[in-house]
Amino acid sequence: MRWLGIALVFVAAATMIAGVADLPVHGTPDAPIHRHVGARYLEHGVAETGMRNMVTAVLLVYRGFDTFLEVVVIFTALVAVLALPRGAGKAGPARVVSPSGSTAAATSDADAVGPQQADVPVSPVVFFVVRLLAPFIAIFALASLYRGHITPGGGFQSAAIFGALFIALALVFGRERAARLVPVPARVWLQALGPVLFALVAFVGWCLTGAFLGYPADAAAHAVREAMVVTLEVGIAVGGAVILAQLFMAMEG
Amino acid sequence: MVLFGLDLDYAACVVLFCLGLYMLVAKSNLIKKVLGLNVMETAVFAFIVTAGMVEGGDPPILVAGTSPPYASPIPHAMVLTGIVVAVSVTAVALALIVQIHAHYGTIEVDELKELP
Repeated sequence: MRWLGIALVFVAAATMIAGVADLPVHGTPDAPIHRHVGARYLEHGVAETGMRNMVTAVLLVYRGFDTFLEVVVIFTALVAVLALPRGAGKAGPARVVSPSGSTAAATSDADAVGPQQADVPVSPVVFFVVRLLAPFIAIFALASLYRGHITPGGGFQSAAIFGALFIALALVFGRERAARLVPVPARVWLQALGPVLFALVAFVGWCLTGAFLGYPADAAAHAVREAMVVTLEVGIAVGGAVILAQLFMAMEG
Repeated sequence: MVLFGLDLDYAACVVLFCLGLYMLVAKSNLIKKVLGLNVMETAVFAFIVTAGMVEGGDPPILVAGTSPPYASPIPHAMVLTGIVVAVSVTAVALALIVQIHAHYGTIEVDELKELP
C-alpha cells in the first residue's frame, strides 16, 4: 500500500511538472493571465464599480454569483455539521467489538485524557495576552472590513479575523462563556446573514436594473451602489464570523 | 527563477502538492489525511496566486501612489473562493471524524477496516 502510494505520488508529480514546464514564466507582463479579462477589469474597474480595490470589485461585482454561492457553500457546511448528532459518543467505546481489543482499549484510554486536558488551567500569560490583545484584534477586523475597498482586506478577511478572535477567547475563557457572546436567538439569524443579505441585495439590484445582482451603472446612483456593496461586505463578515465560531463550537467530541 | 526550463516557483507548488497527496494516500490516521488535503489545497492556492503576480508590479488596489503594472485581480478572487470551499470541506470532514471517533473509538483507517 505504501509503495502504491509513493508510485501514485511520483506519477502525479511527473504529470504536473510536465504541465507546469509549458507555462510562461510567472511574472511576465504579457502572460495570458494578464492580457484577457484581467486587463479589462484593471482598465475599466474603477469607472464601472467605483471601487479602488479590484479584488473586491471582481469578487462582488464582476463575479458576484460566484461569491453568492461561496457564501451559500460555507453556510451549507455549517448546516451539515449541525445536522450531525451531538454527543452521540458518550456510550460509543462500549460498542467497539474489535478483534484487536488491546488497541481499542488504548485508544479509549487516550480518549479519557481529553476532557481532563480541557480542565487544565490556562497559563496566566496566555490569559493576560489574549485579554490584552482581544480589543485590538477586534478593531483590526473592523478596520479590515471598513477600509476593505481601498486597502487589502474586506468581508472574508474580517470574518476570518473575527472567527480567530472568537476561537482564542473560547480557548482561554471556556466555551460556555464564549458562547454567551452570541446568544442563541441572534445566532440563528446571524449565521444566515451572508446568504440572506446577498439574496436581498440581488433582489434590490434586480428591481433597479432588471438583472439579478445587477448594480445601477449611472454616476447618480453612486450612493446606492456603495450601500449595496457595504451591505454585502457586512453580511459576509458577520455571517462568516458567526459560522466559523459555530463550526468551532460544534467540534465538541 | 528558471532552472533547466522549469519555473522553480511552480515546481515548488508541485512538490508541496505531492507532499499533501502522499499524506492523503499513505497515512492511516483520518486527521492526518485531512491535513494532507489542506496541504494540497494550499499548494493549489500558492500556484494560482503565483501565476497572477507580475514582475515589479503593484497590488491591484488602484489608489494614489500605485502605478501599472498591477497583479491580476482574478486569481486573488478565485483563491478567496477556494479558501472558503477548503474551510467548508475541512469543517465537515472534521465533524465526521469526531462522529467516527465517538462511535468506534478510533480514527485509524486500518483499525476501522477490521471492525465487524
